[in-house]
Amino acid sequence: MAVIVKKVELTWLDRTYVWPVMKGMGITFQHFLKQLFTPTAKRYTIQYPDMKKEMPAGYRGLHELKRFEDGAIKCVACFMCQEACPARCISIEAEEFSDLNITQGFEEKRPAVFKIDMLRCIYCGMCEEACPKDAIWLRNDYEVAAYDRLSMQFGKWDLMNTYAEADGKDSLGQDPTPSVPRRTIAM
Amino acid sequence: MDKLASMLHMTPAIFWMVVKVVIVFAGVMSLAAVWTWVERRGSAMIQDRIGPNRARLFGRWPILGLAQIAADGIKFFFKEDLVPTDANKRLFWLAPFLAFVPALMGFAVIPFGKSFVSGGQTYHLALLDPGNGMGMLYPLAIGGMAVYGVLVAAWSSNNKWSILGGMRASAAMVSYEIGLSLAVISIFMTTGGYDPSEVISAQGHLPWAWNIVRQPLGFIVFFTCMFAETNRLPFDFAEGESEIVAGFNTEYGSMKYSLLALAEYSHLMTASALIATLYFGGWQVPFVKDPTVMLSVASFLLKMLFFAWVFVWIRWTVPRFRYDQLMHLGWKVMLPLSMANLIFHAWRMSQGH
Repeated sequence: MAVIVKKVELTWLDRTYVWPVMKGMGITFQHFLKQLFTPTAKRYTIQYPDMKKEMPAGYRGLHELKRFEDGAIKCVACFMCQEACPARCISIEAEEFSDLNITQGFEEKRPAVFKIDMLRCIYCGMCEEACPKDAIWLRNDYEVAAYDRLSMQFGKWDLMNTYAEADGKDSLGQDPTPSVPRRTIAM
Repeated sequence: MDKLASMLHMTPAIFWMVVKVVIVFAGVMSLAAVWTWVERRGSAMIQDRIGPNRARLFGRWPILGLAQIAADGIKFFFKEDLVPTDANKRLFWLAPFLAFVPALMGFAVIPFGKSFVSGGQTYHLALLDPGNGMGMLYPLAIGGMAVYGVLVAAWSSNNKWSILGGMRASAAMVSYEIGLSLAVISIFMTTGGYDPSEVISAQGHLPWAWNIVRQPLGFIVFFTCMFAETNRLPFDFAEGESEIVAGFNTEYGSMKYSLLALAEYSHLMTASALIATLYFGGWQVPFVKDPTVMLSVASFLLKMLFFAWVFVWIRWTVPRFRYDQLMHLGWKVMLPLSMANLIFHAWRMSQGH
């Protein structure tokens, strides 16, 4: 198939080369002035450490483990996220807890250990999809870096507090209710 | 001034000469250094970027990134100074100076302000006093010397890409020099002399009497040829990222490379000073018949810096030429145009204008 190349007929003014150059200089000077009088915040370049990009609503960044108003973790340790994770970076250990006021004396489940290996995580959001309790969210923080590998192993309290400062919430370090020792059921 | 001279055990004439040398060479050199910053920030603004704005003076004052110049200088000084094994070592060392010195020396005859009389003595604001017999021929001759800088740098590197770049650039410079000289000669003709002070006084203080209005064709030829002379885009055939690695300075590093780069900018300054002198009335202030000395210096600086900016501006507007197009333009367009200009003005003078 032949490609027909459109021939551009140059006028005598274009052939002088001087006039088109002056037109081009006009265009570049417009850009120069526009950029010069645009305040830094409105320029295309985001000057990274000083300015940060507003991430869009669906962005999948650093995880947060959600909490109830009293500070109890929403996660029920159902292991759905651990199963869904294609990178196998989540590891959970469950425990039981019971409280007269909150659980009416029944025993319920929550994670004793909830670890995410951030070096392995691919931020695919499958854990968020799999979670039946909406307990794990991937949010807008993309600055996940550390000086050593161990700091990239995020534990339960790290994950619960990732956005505590940004949301103006308290930084937690303890469950509101104590866990109960696992009982063997009498057969 | 006489007191200061006697304090330093110098005659006023010698003292004035020293002051002028310091002002001219330090001024042009620092302007060339500043222009590397102007080039980078200006190109950034033209391309909707921001450019270098991070370097801070003593890590504290950003001053629009001007500290970048100092940072670059310090970096270049502390880089390893490599000389290739098979290079011609003497020429390799000499080449940056051969490029740098002529670029600065061309400025020597250009009057950057009005001459003034103080204490019964006339002080001329040019390194070489008017009537030295060289006049405007001197910067043109020295400009021709600049070919050696590029060519020696290319040859001594013992690198085929360098030689290709150097040969190309020197061929371009030599062929454009003819058109340039013919354009200047028609100015000499209409002026009736080739001393820069004569050229300036013949143009007068009225803008419509300047050579740009009298000889627009000559100006276009001269201006275009100056781009080829200074080896800047759109005629930068000494360099060529896509075809010959980096061109004549491929093997250069550290301060030697920096000198080659500075030579380009000093050449740019000299070229814009030449344009201002020949076509825009030098230190003449528009509509002011008898300006003060400071005003005339300011006027000259303004004109010179404007043309230096135009050099930068055009670099980021116009795409590069192909080599055969460059030669075509030089020999088949610029040379006939400047000849036509010369013949037209010769004819006009013969008609008694």
